[in-house]
Amino acid sequence: MAEILQYVHKDGFFHRLTPLTKILFIILIAVICVFATGIPFLLFVVAVLLLLAYISHLYRELLQQLRLVLVMSAIFIVITVLTMPNGAILGNLIPHGVPLIGGAIPITTGGIAVGIVLALRFIVLIFAFQLFLISTQPRDLVHAMDHLHMPVDYILMFVIALRFIPTLQIEGKRIHEAQLARGYNPGTGLLGKIRSVTPIVVPLVSNALLRSNVLGLTIDMRGYRTGTRTRVRERRLTSEDYLMVGVIAISSAVFAVVAFIAPSLIY
Amino acid sequence: MIELSDVSYTYPHTVQEALHRLSLVLEKGRCIMVTGPSGAGKTTLCLAACGILNHEYGGKKTGLVTINGKNVADYAGLSDIARTIGIVFDDAEAQMIFTTVEEEILSALEYRGLSPEEVERRLGEIMEVTFLSALKDRSPHNLSGGQKQRVALAATLALGNDVLILDEPTSELDEHATRRIVEILSNLKREGKTLLIVEHKFDYFNEIVDTLVVLEHGSISAIGPANDVLKDLRIRNMVIPDFSGIKNNTTALVRPSGALPAISVRNLSYSYGDVPALHDLSLSISAGEFVAIVGENGSGKTTLVRQFNRLLTPTAGDVVIHGRNTQDCTITALAHDVGLVFQNPDHMFFADTVKDEIAFGLDNLGLGNQEVTIDAALEEVGLLHTKTLYPRWLSRGERQRLAIACVVAMQPKIIVLDEPTTGLDGEEARLVMEILRNHQKKGHTVVVITHNRDIARYCADRIITMDQGRVIADMPRGE
Repeated sequence: MAEILQYVHKDGFFHRLTPLTKILFIILIAVICVFATGIPFLLFVVAVLLLLAYISHLYRELLQQLRLVLVMSAIFIVITVLTMPNGAILGNLIPHGVPLIGGAIPITTGGIAVGIVLALRFIVLIFAFQLFLISTQPRDLVHAMDHLHMPVDYILMFVIALRFIPTLQIEGKRIHEAQLARGYNPGTGLLGKIRSVTPIVVPLVSNALLRSNVLGLTIDMRGYRTGTRTRVRERRLTSEDYLMVGVIAISSAVFAVVAFIAPSLIY
Repeated sequence: MIELSDVSYTYPHTVQEALHRLSLVLEKGRCIMVTGPSGAGKTTLCLAACGILNHEYGGKKTGLVTINGKNVADYAGLSDIARTIGIVFDDAEAQMIFTTVEEEILSALEYRGLSPEEVERRLGEIMEVTFLSALKDRSPHNLSGGQKQRVALAATLALGNDVLILDEPTSELDEHATRRIVEILSNLKREGKTLLIVEHKFDYFNEIVDTLVVLEHGSISAIGPANDVLKDLRIRNMVIPDFSGIKNNTTALVRPSGALPAISVRNLSYSYGDVPALHDLSLSISAGEFVAIVGENGSGKTTLVRQFNRLLTPTAGDVVIHGRNTQDCTITALAHDVGLVFQNPDHMFFADTVKDEIAFGLDNLGLGNQEVTIDAALEEVGLLHTKTLYPRWLSRGERQRLAIACVVAMQPKIIVLDEPTTGLDGEEARLVMEILRNHQKKGHTVVVITHNRDIARYCADRIITMDQGRVIADMPRGE
């Protein structure tokens, strides 16, 4: 089963970086995504991310999500084509020959371009975020937050929520099997499909609620967040961190300068 | 160490008391085993003893719980109590918080005010005593149920608390793994730790138990040294399942005629991706047989029975049900022939009433939503009085029987059950096996996966033993 956004135990460049360096990296990528609208530039960023994944031995894990990413991209492009007609008209979704509504919904170059930019931004963010999540253990993240005297609870909550995705995936599969064994067949048509979700979703949600109760009690009874923490196996900044921080700093500077003197490269 | 005096408790939004005027003293260095039917309040007792009821749950409570002489209400909160008491809940999966086994245990060790060297030493020690070293980099959700239970126990052991409360710590473990857990607990007891264990496997825990407590309807119905408590025959049957007599009663057995075997498996192999689970397996089960499949965790038992109604399709080889190759049938079509009851009944319940829950299967197969069929199925499992109740309100034992009723009502000729006695006390387990035996008498084929050797010995006509995806022994009745 393809596991979504789960930590993978490996020894690679990204795994060896401290969480702080990786957070810095995510921030840079996010800023780039907000400002950059040039398709060639965004493609370049995607290439850089893939290269990083390759040297960190995380290439395969990243590409596992390719299907999700492509489906989402297609949806973005369809939405922008429908809602943001702009530029030259390439054709019409409904041919001119059709009476009354013939010639409606033009497919425009502008619409497609905006869609591609949105999709690329989405790909960049997903890839960067995924690199971060699959290479960082929650424990290290908590330590990093702790160092900065930042509230760790919310981060921990988020990471634990992600950790339960595969649990729900497996549980959902088992429930589906249990219902199949009782002759359950998913209905046809939209209404049928919606109705046939009940036998799967109701047990899934009920069981998940019970489980989250036990999870909460476990966190309390294991005594996390109390007492002082023994500083053991903490991640220290290594030469690779300095290298990465340097690269991030230089990239930021270059990005800022280029945005100022040659904006056409980015926008 | 822990003292409950006259404790009564009612959960929010319910009327019936979960605990009724219960008093119990857990002394330092002693081991108490609590057992009793499902729904008797065993888990609630665990929650009461470590102050969770007081600090986290609403509901109506009376009586007093003290830990080391101090009222639980006077502790600052659960984190404060957690310095003294460690608890392992029955749902192991929900207690896997981190991303690797090692991280899970290390995280628990970090907040105990130990030196870094001590943390490392204890980490190594705990991994070793719980036999988890080989799994240290594995992700918890990829572990088997039994392995998860060991990790949950290890993470709690890491806390190094004086008192351990364990709620069914071996429910998903095979014989071998259960013995390991008992060994670990036995060592802890020798070190002076105090143990409160909710369990059904008295035979395994006998050696370490000082006091046996039998809980029924929220009150203690028997308490004392095991030998004294077990003198009462009714209590004895509850604590130690007695399956004798179930098999002997076979004179009235109806053997359906016809040469076709009910299930015929030919050279079956199956792999999950790259991981092989079944190797070139062949067996044949006759119509009307009662077969037990035994074997250690991960030996391929569940993988095998999932092929019977095509939830899994063979990688190689064939599975033939009543002469029809499963590869030519849909899952829905096979549901007419093969009824599969899964280990966890909660994976199926979604309806508002017990009656609707059973009607779901009947409607799916187009058998008509007949009141008569539903009543008959409920009558058979002794749940007719729960017909209009919400399925999830029933006790574990009742839910297990309801799961059986849901499948039985569909009238499959073959009924397959995966660990049908998990979490049940002796009497409930016997009841389930009697229901199945009665079904066999009516001409149905019954296949049961079980870790319980007595079930295999006393109830089945034939015992198939599996190991690493192969059948290593196949013994017919009477041997």
